[in-house]
Formats: sequence, C-alpha cells, structure tokens
Amino acid sequence: MKHLVIPLVASLMCSVAVAAPDGAKLYAEKTCNACHGPKGDKPLLPNYPKIAGQNAAYTEQQMKDIKSGARNNGQTAAMKGVMHLVSDEEIKALSEYLEKLK
Amino acid sequence: MKTSLLLIGLLSAGVAFAGPPAPKADGIESEGYTWNAQEGEKIEALQLTGDKVNGEEAYEICGACHLPSGAGRPDGTFPQLAGQHTTVLIKQMADIRAGLRDNPTMYPFAVSLIDPQELADVAAYIEDLCIPTEHGKYEGVDAALQINRGKQLYEKQCLECHGKNGEGNKQKFYPVIAGQHYKYLLRQMTEIRDGKRRNANPDMVKVIKPYSDEDLVAISAYQSSLTMPGSMCKPKAGK
Repeated sequence: MKHLVIPLVASLMCSVAVAAPDGAKLYAEKTCNACHGPKGDKPLLPNYPKIAGQNAAYTEQQMKDIKSGARNNGQTAAMKGVMHLVSDEEIKALSEYLEKLK
Repeated sequence: MKTSLLLIGLLSAGVAFAGPPAPKADGIESEGYTWNAQEGEKIEALQLTGDKVNGEEAYEICGACHLPSGAGRPDGTFPQLAGQHTTVLIKQMADIRAGLRDNPTMYPFAVSLIDPQELADVAAYIEDLCIPTEHGKYEGVDAALQINRGKQLYEKQCLECHGKNGEGNKQKFYPVIAGQHYKYLLRQMTEIRDGKRRNANPDMVKVIKPYSDEDLVAISAYQSSLTMPGSMCKPKAGK
C-alpha cells in the first residue's frame, strides 16, 4: 500500500503545482464581474474602479489589504463581503489576468 | 437586446444618484422601532402586479451573484432566492435600499432597481423559479444527530411561523427556508439573535435569544434538510 501511496501523492503535488488557477474563470465565479463589469472596464458605480489593465502587483496588494482589513476606506466595505471567497493564490491569478485585459 | 440596452441606460442614470454609501435608518436598536412598518415604496411595490418578463430582465444584474437559477452559493455568501415569497423579497430589498438591513455588498445592486414596479417585477420572477435541490447542507459526520436534535427544537418554537416544510407565510412576510443554504441560515439566525440584523422581527428575537450557538447549528442543519413538495426543481433527466 505504502508503495502505491507515495507516487500517487507525488503526482498529485506535481499536478497542483502545474495547474495555476484560471483567472478568467475566477473572475466570473468569484463575482468580481458583478461590480467591475464582465471585462473589468465597466464598474457598476462611478466610484468603483476600472481594473482592466491595472498593474498586477498593485491589484494583488489592494485585494490582500482589503481582505485582511489593512485597507478599509472608500468602497471597501462592499468588497470585503466577498473576499473570503479567494485565496492568496487565486488573488495572484486574478491580478495577472486583469493586467492583461485592455 | 434593444430593451436591455435601454435598461442599462436607465440603470446607469439611476446609479449616478447611488454613489454615496447606504443610509442608516433606525432599526431594532432604536426605541421607536416598528417591525415591517407599513410605509414607503415597499407598500407601493406590494400593491403592484409584478411582470415576470420585465422581472427576468431586471434580474440579470442580480444573477451575477445569486446565479441565473437563484441558487446563490452553497457557502452561504449569497442566499438561495428561488421560490421566495414576493412579500419577503420586496420587504428585504426595500429594507436594504432604505438602510434598515445593512448589506454594503448588495446595496448598490438593490438601489439600481429603478422603482417600486421593478421591485415587484423582479420579485414575481424570482418567486416563480423552482427551488434548486443542490444547496449547502450541514456536512459534519454527526449530521444525522444534528438534524434530529434540530428537528426537535424546530418543532417546538420555529414551526409555528416557518411551517412544517419551511414554507414560511407569504401574508405575514415570513420567508421560505426550505432549500436555503445551511451556512446562510446559521449566519442570519446568529445575527438576528445578536441584534445585528436591524430589520428583524422583535417577536423572533425574543424567541431566539436564549438559543446557544450549538442550538442554532442544529436548527440550521435541520432547516437545510427541509423540502417543499411541489416547489423544488425536478431532478435532471438521465442522471
């Protein structure tokens, strides 16, 4: 049994490392699109940001800060309600996806 | 398509006024609080006949979070809405719009509905949807025990208002809870008990006050196991 388990675990770990989360899919599934628009360029309210094309490093930090509560000004109360839906890894994937959007 | 463009135009016109954060109305924490006060746009919306076709279009903006089926999310972030009484939907939307139920995530969407007619339309559309059966349930290894204990508690004090099958009471604004996500039920009951849901019914607060966290877990476990005959979605063929 042990002989079987080790390669299985190893192969699982490899596949996890290879398959980064899909930013486009996350963007719709985690309800980002509801407020920021399907392509990140048409926010629901004028005081919500356009996020398409934003620098990934900036987006990633803002999301992490809103999630942790380090940033709690402006419209963050609306966004905090959904931030438990994403992990740090998913935040990174989302930020990279958004940077590539025009 | 043309009408949806028109709708978007109308919505963005409404949104221009919706910039400031939600107002804060006097709720259960205030002395003069009357539950479900018969006033404002809620009464207007309740008296109108909802148009399901218009409601479907207006629901598009809701569906991004609550999903096109109305199912919400099993993790309880967004409630299941399908099959909910129009009275409950209208009251909750109006309360969020008026700042009586605090929900900063939902607020900008709630205020994007343009008038009482649109509240009535979207409520009529949602009420008509079948209740999805794959919602979030209590998943601990002791589920059978919890459900059994929850049933006893539910039958003692909850059933009278919320019904044998969790069907609520449309005339009295009591919600359908059958098919609701376990985690959403637990969160709402906890917030109602602790005075955080400011539009709560004081009669319910009185009943729920003495319940422990463990009691609420058991009750939520039981509630999320309820089904309403005739209102649930049919299982997909071939599965």
